[in-house]
Parts: sequence; structure tokens; C-alpha cells
Amino acid sequence: MKFTRRYAGLALASAAALALAMPASAQQTTQALTSESVIESIKQEGVIKIGISLFRPWSMRDLNGELVGFELDVGRQLAEDMGVEVEFVPTSWDGIIPALVSGKFDVIISGMSITPQRNLTVAFSDPYAFSGMTILANTAMTEGFTLEDYNSPDVVFSARRGATPAAVIASMFPEAQLLLFDEDGASTQEVLNGNAHATMASEPTPTEEVGRYGDTLSVPFNRAFMASGEAFAFRKGDPDAENFFNNWIGIKTRTGWLQERNDYWFRGSEWSDMVAE
Amino acid sequence: MLGFFKRLHWMDYLIVAVIVIAAVTITSRIGGNLNYDWRWENIPNYIFRFDIAQDKWVSNLLIQGLVATIRISIYSSILALILGIVLGVSRCSSNLTIRMLARTYLEFLRNVPPVVIIFIFFFFLSEQLITALNMESWARGIARQENNGVWEFLFGDMRRFPALISGIIVMALFQSAFVGEIVRAGIQSVDKGQREAARSIGMSHFQELRYIVLPQALRKVLPPMANQFISLVKDSSLVSLISVPELTFKTVELVASTRMIFEAWLVAVAFYFVICFGLSMLFRRLEKS
Repeated sequence: MKFTRRYAGLALASAAALALAMPASAQQTTQALTSESVIESIKQEGVIKIGISLFRPWSMRDLNGELVGFELDVGRQLAEDMGVEVEFVPTSWDGIIPALVSGKFDVIISGMSITPQRNLTVAFSDPYAFSGMTILANTAMTEGFTLEDYNSPDVVFSARRGATPAAVIASMFPEAQLLLFDEDGASTQEVLNGNAHATMASEPTPTEEVGRYGDTLSVPFNRAFMASGEAFAFRKGDPDAENFFNNWIGIKTRTGWLQERNDYWFRGSEWSDMVAE
Repeated sequence: MLGFFKRLHWMDYLIVAVIVIAAVTITSRIGGNLNYDWRWENIPNYIFRFDIAQDKWVSNLLIQGLVATIRISIYSSILALILGIVLGVSRCSSNLTIRMLARTYLEFLRNVPPVVIIFIFFFFLSEQLITALNMESWARGIARQENNGVWEFLFGDMRRFPALISGIIVMALFQSAFVGEIVRAGIQSVDKGQREAARSIGMSHFQELRYIVLPQALRKVLPPMANQFISLVKDSSLVSLISVPELTFKTVELVASTRMIFEAWLVAVAFYFVICFGLSMLFRRLEKS
């Protein structure tokens, strides 16, 4: 009897202690979430590290070897609005998501389109650009092709490994063969050499290539396919970063700043003197 | 000159003729099949460019990459040599555990493709080291200072220091296995009598290694060591996979920006060849003297 009473008291006391501790621990969790947010560490370090993979005209090296492009404008503006320095970390496309996850940089701003597969590994913000893909075809090899004709085992596509065009081709033309390369120049070259019928890329690259190799290449369909939207990618479990990036993109979309920068890099050609043509 | 031609057999002329015909055929076929717009005129600008603001010539992408490659090669070969000697000595140790550990390390590295090793070392080892030592904010602190000329000279842009260091560590660990094998071969080639003599005059195990075995062993293994160093320079192109800004990585960047695939790669090849061929000439001269 004595024992039972003692244990009952003990149980009551621990329940009371737990009840008192509960609200405190919830508060601690929110505090921990905030302090662990990448936004906090950016403010603390005074620098935002942005992972990019060079991809004309999203980001590229100009004649002076400096980085220029749409992403660079976005990244610099983002850093300016946060009041921190900006540091771009050029990374190979294959390893850009592992590098983000292992903490090499705070966010990927590199024309990364939102796909469910990627979203399982990283978190995405709202889209800040919508660039659909166009087909860039070898004119002689695809004479008289309709869109359905591309979906045939005799047709060969080329694309950059792991990039959005490769995924778009695989889903739009599941029957066609797909050759994968490490970067875009090589996949275009295969189309030029007649080893592949076509490749896909976001404008203005296809139009530029047609300008250079008008005899061989053409853009057969004047429309964009699968504009899935490109977004910032960051590590999962970071509500503060998501909130901040979404609102930043929201503001920049509403003021028209993003559209204006997008038109400059993707529609205009004022910048073509900056990069070797 | 005439004597040179006289020494040639008709067979030599035939071989030369076959090679020339093959070269001409291949070149003409490339010209016919390859639909490519050559733009060599853009390349010199990416080697050196004239900076109007500073009013002087400065290095551009390709030279920056070349310098980074040279830095990585030098630092990682020093590190690989130190690790390799430790490994080589442990391979000849009388302690079974040490011998087995060294053997395991070596067999692991020798039988796995370099690319895999580089990824494993990068994500699991050098990454931990950089985080543990808080190297990143330290390097950024230096990059922000005004007076960092010495650091910049030694390591380039300090903001990219962690990437450079992981490239160096990865290359050194990877190459140390092969250097270790070379050192072991050298140690085992030292005559047994030498070691026995050292022990008989009362030298400790360490003294025996330091004064008797290693000086002889290292002298003997100089040629394969030089060869290994040249192969290190070439293998350093692999660290471009982990985004270390060296020559190969910069070339990829240049190709992605300008689509000058063949020009950029041919220049990179020429750079690698000049370094490696220069080194092999240098080592040949050193061996003779």
C-alpha cells in the first residue's frame, strides 16, 4: 500500500512536470527552426552562397571571364535585398543537388525546373521563370515531320544528361532514342553532324544556333513545350527560407522586375557582345 | 643532316608515307563530316586579355585554370609523397596489423575506379575536414582583408579555397597508394646486409630507416616517382567532377558559355601536353646528372 501510494505520487509529479515542459518545448522547437534556417546562417556569415551551373543564357562567362546572365542578375539582386555579399559557386550539373544537400552552398539558382523527382530530395520555391523547351532539328533529316513523327524508334534525340530537356524528350517522345552528353554544345553538335535528328533547349539558344547554322538547323515548331517553371532549390525542412524566397519572388514578379530581366536575357540580344559569338 | 637520311631504310620511308596518308585522310574526313563553325579568333582572349581599367594584360579563364591545375599538382604531390612514404614503410613493417591496414588501403584504392574514389573522398572525408576546421569562414575572412597578396599567390581566390583544398586532399589520398607501392619497391630493393649492418652498429629502427634505408630507396625510385607525378598532373583533371576550378572545369565553363567545343578542348589538351612533356624532359635531365 505504502509503495503504491509512493509510486502514484511519483507518476503524478512527473505528469505535472511533463505538462509544464510541453509548451516550453514547443516554443523551443520554433526557436530552433528559426535559428537553424539557412536565412539565419546567411545573415550571420554576411554572405549568400549560390550554386550555379553554367548554362547559356542563364549563366555564362563573358569575354572577361566574369559571370553574367539571368541567374546572376537574380542572385545579385537577392543578395542586395538581404544586405549581404553574394558568392556564386560554379558546380557541375551532375553534382549540384548533392552539393546543395551537403551544404556547399545555401541555394541553387540555376534554371532548375521543378520536377517531382528532384522535389523528393530538395525543397523548391515558387517558380521565378517559365521557359518552355523548343525543338531544334536537323532540317534535312526531319523534312516534313509532324510532331507525332518524332515519336518513333528511328528518330534519335540528343540532350544534356540530367537536365530538363532530357526529361522532357523522354516523356514527350518515349519511342525515340535518346543520346546523352555532358553539356549542351556536344548535343547540338550531334544534330549538326547528322548523328541525331533533334535536340531540345529553352529559347533563345535554338534561335541563336539557327542563326549560325541556317543551312543545317531549324526550329520546326514555333511553340514551347512543357513550361514547368524554374525555381530556387534549397535544403528541405526550412520553412523560413521557403517563406522568404517565395515572398521575394512574389514581390519581384509583381513589380515586373523578373519579367524585365527575363526579356533582357531571353528575348533581346543586347548582351550578345558581352560573350564570344 | 644528309647522314640522317642515309641512315633511313626504305622501310622507314614506307612507314612515314603510310602515317602521312592516314593523317591526311582523317583530317579531310573530319572536314567533310564535321559540320562545325571554327572560331579560333575568340580563343586568345580567353588565355590573356587586355584589361582597360587596369591598363595591363591579365590572365583569363584558361590561364586561371592552368594555374589552379599547377597549384593542385604541386601541393597534392607533396602531400602524396609524405603519405606515400608512410604507407610504403608500413607495408614493410614487421607488425602484422600495420601491414594489413596499409595493404587494405592500397588494394581498395587500386581496384576501384578513380572517379568513384574521388566522389567518396570528397563527400565523406574532405568535406568533414573542412567543416570541422571551419575552413570556409576562415578563408572568407582572409578574402575580405585588404592585404592578402601572399595567400592569393599561394592559393588563388581565397573564396574558392575550400574547393581547392578538397581537390588537393582527394588527389593526394588517391595518389598516395601508388607512391606507397613505389616506395615499398624501393625499400625492398635495399640490400638486406645494409639493414643488418645498421642494426649491428646499434641503430634504432627509426635511425635505420632515416639514415640507411630511405636515402637509398628514394634515390632508386626517382624515375617511377617522376612518372607518377606526371600522371598526377593528368589525373588532376578528374577533380573537375567535384567542381574544383582547375583547367578542365574552366574549359567546360568556357564551352558552356560560348559553344566553342573543339577550340576550347584542343587548347586545354595543348596546355596539359606542354606541362607533362616539359616535366618529362626535366626529369630526364635530372636523371642523367
